[in-house]
Amino acid sequence: MLGPGLLKGMAVTLKQFVESYTKKGSIFTIQYPEERREMPEAFRNFPILVYDEDPENPRCVSCDICAKECPPRCITIVRDRDPNGAGLKKPKVFDIDVSVCMSCGICEEVCPFDAIFMDKDFELSAYDRMESLNFHKEKLLRPNSYFHKIRPTDAARIDANLKAKQEKQAPTPPSGTTT
Amino acid sequence: METLDQLFVLLKEGILQIAEAFLPSGLLPFVSILVSITAIAIFAPAVMMYLTWLERKVIGRMQNRYGPNRVGKFGLLQPIADGIKMLTKEDIVPAKADRFGHFLAPVAVVVPSLLLFSVLPFGRNMIAADLEIGLLFFLAISSVGTLAIFIGGWGSRNKFSLLGAMRALAQMVSYEVPLVLSIVTVVMMVGSLSTMDIVEAQSGWNGFRWFIFTPWGFFGFLIFFIGSVAEVNRTPFDIPEGESEIVAGFHTEYSGMKFALFYMAEFLGAFAFAALGATLFFGGWQGPFLPSWLWFGLKTFVLVFVIIWLRGTFPRLRVDQLMGYAWKFLLPMALVNILAAGVWYYLSQPLASFASAALLVASYLLLSRLSPTGTRLEKRTYRYAE
Amino acid sequence: MGLFFVVLSLMTLLGALGAMLLKNLVHCAIGLVLFFIGIAGFYLLLQAEFIAAVQILIYVGAVATLILFAVMLTENVIGETTLKGLGRNRWAALILSLVVGGVLIKAIGHQTFSAAQVAERVSTREIGRSLLTTYVLPFEVISILLVAAMIGAIVIAMERNKRMGE
Repeated sequence: MLGPGLLKGMAVTLKQFVESYTKKGSIFTIQYPEERREMPEAFRNFPILVYDEDPENPRCVSCDICAKECPPRCITIVRDRDPNGAGLKKPKVFDIDVSVCMSCGICEEVCPFDAIFMDKDFELSAYDRMESLNFHKEKLLRPNSYFHKIRPTDAARIDANLKAKQEKQAPTPPSGTTT
Repeated sequence: METLDQLFVLLKEGILQIAEAFLPSGLLPFVSILVSITAIAIFAPAVMMYLTWLERKVIGRMQNRYGPNRVGKFGLLQPIADGIKMLTKEDIVPAKADRFGHFLAPVAVVVPSLLLFSVLPFGRNMIAADLEIGLLFFLAISSVGTLAIFIGGWGSRNKFSLLGAMRALAQMVSYEVPLVLSIVTVVMMVGSLSTMDIVEAQSGWNGFRWFIFTPWGFFGFLIFFIGSVAEVNRTPFDIPEGESEIVAGFHTEYSGMKFALFYMAEFLGAFAFAALGATLFFGGWQGPFLPSWLWFGLKTFVLVFVIIWLRGTFPRLRVDQLMGYAWKFLLPMALVNILAAGVWYYLSQPLASFASAALLVASYLLLSRLSPTGTRLEKRTYRYAE
Repeated sequence: MGLFFVVLSLMTLLGALGAMLLKNLVHCAIGLVLFFIGIAGFYLLLQAEFIAAVQILIYVGAVATLILFAVMLTENVIGETTLKGLGRNRWAALILSLVVGGVLIKAIGHQTFSAAQVAERVSTREIGRSLLTTYVLPFEVISILLVAAMIGAIVIAMERNKRMGE
């Protein structure tokens, strides 16, 4: 017979309509800029550089491994030099072109100094696609505390590793000296 | 109470009295017409704008979403934002399009749907033109819009547009037949084509003697409602613009304000048909306590809500199902309904209702058993166009 | 009233000329629709509201639609010009239209019109009553004609379907 099936269908939609007002949690939409969904810890987007205390002395020693491994070649590193022209163990220029970056995370994998990590920030809209999306060192540098905030498990593991390494070669101060 | 009921009528009389002081008396009829036209010309687009808002809200809620809620409180300014967007969009005309037809269609599609409002009785004494043939006028004008849709679809010089246009023509010609036949019962009972007379005939029982409470009225309303949903191209009968099959049908090649005009015609048509349904079967502005125009608006918006509700519920029909449903189910049902109305009219009361209800239910069961819309699993045969 | 008459006449003539002279069949059909609407306007001027509404309902709503359907079955549906002129039917068309025109002019000439006759207004109720009493025979004959046409159409469609099925 024609009809009961149609009425049944209409009852379903009416029920949803009424419940959207009466029952809490029946609307799944998240009102994005005001409400945000909690990102899973493994979520990763674009790389950042981590420093321990001083932004002038990041963990990065400008070894250039990440730039060489990067599949789309989006990382540009220029080593800093002292007035005499001798190389320093820190980068002068560290650029990541996030319009080219494909968020593979290989840079994080290969970094022997645990200096580069994947960030969670995905709100990177910009008005032009050239300079605004080419992130310079100043924009990439984040304190270790920020890293602890976004990825606590990984940060704890990395910190433990670094500490173990430091204790092994105890006397040498690790940063800022010429080679 | 009386003033509230006649609020808009008194307003018009006030305007006329002011006009009388300034203008020669020969111009007064024109001023009277102008006031009515202005009222409709303001009311109709405003209604259309907020119908889009209502539709998006209701459908959103049915799909567990919020719907528009960014522009203004509850998204109430959304229609205005949409209007500004439509006005500032680029108007694209395909290079090979028939410029005359492409331009004519959006204009010619809105004019009839605005004219529909002139014979709707919005309240006691509130009608722009109380024609003796009001109902016939409504039906005649509503059939003109189809031609405009066809011209637009043809003039776009796009195969999807043409397909949509042909579908629109075929569908509207088919569904007009049961639609008109379902209205015939009301005309039979009232003995007049004037919409005012039809509303007056439903007074009594404290303003609740509506035709929907009679067996023929109930079935007549169902046929009328299905027919009118098909007539204004709304889901589940929107195959002329079925986006899953033919992009956007007849308005594929339209953008900006021209597209908005097609949309406006669709919404105005839906509103006008809901208002006509309220007039014919739900007693129009009849009702206790509230002012007459409020009753009319209430009934109309309930019907508009049902139209939106249908859209939120049902998927689109296939072309052959659609035509089969009109010719093999609705048309015989409408004819039986006329017979049932005759039975109801000529027998004495308790027997009359019972007999006509029995006749209608029996033929409904029979027809739904015969109709090919039920599930029948067969090997499907395909056939190519010649 | 005079102004309305002039405007309507112009519109009707324009529509008729368009229907005859335009090079594109769909444009011709649009001209025809304009002509139909103009005629409906004349009926309104004569205070025959019912006839005017029926004119729009039947001619604009149904006949024009069917004409467009027929146009869609011709060749070159979309394009600048879809008509190549009348060709060799030109003289036959001329003779036929002259004959029909002559008959119509003769028939109209037989009537005498006076202002008093025009002013009389016929209500819908009376039209309905006279259709089912005085003019019941022509009414029924037309109905039978229409039913015959419908049955014929169904028969043709069924034969076509059978041929397709094979």
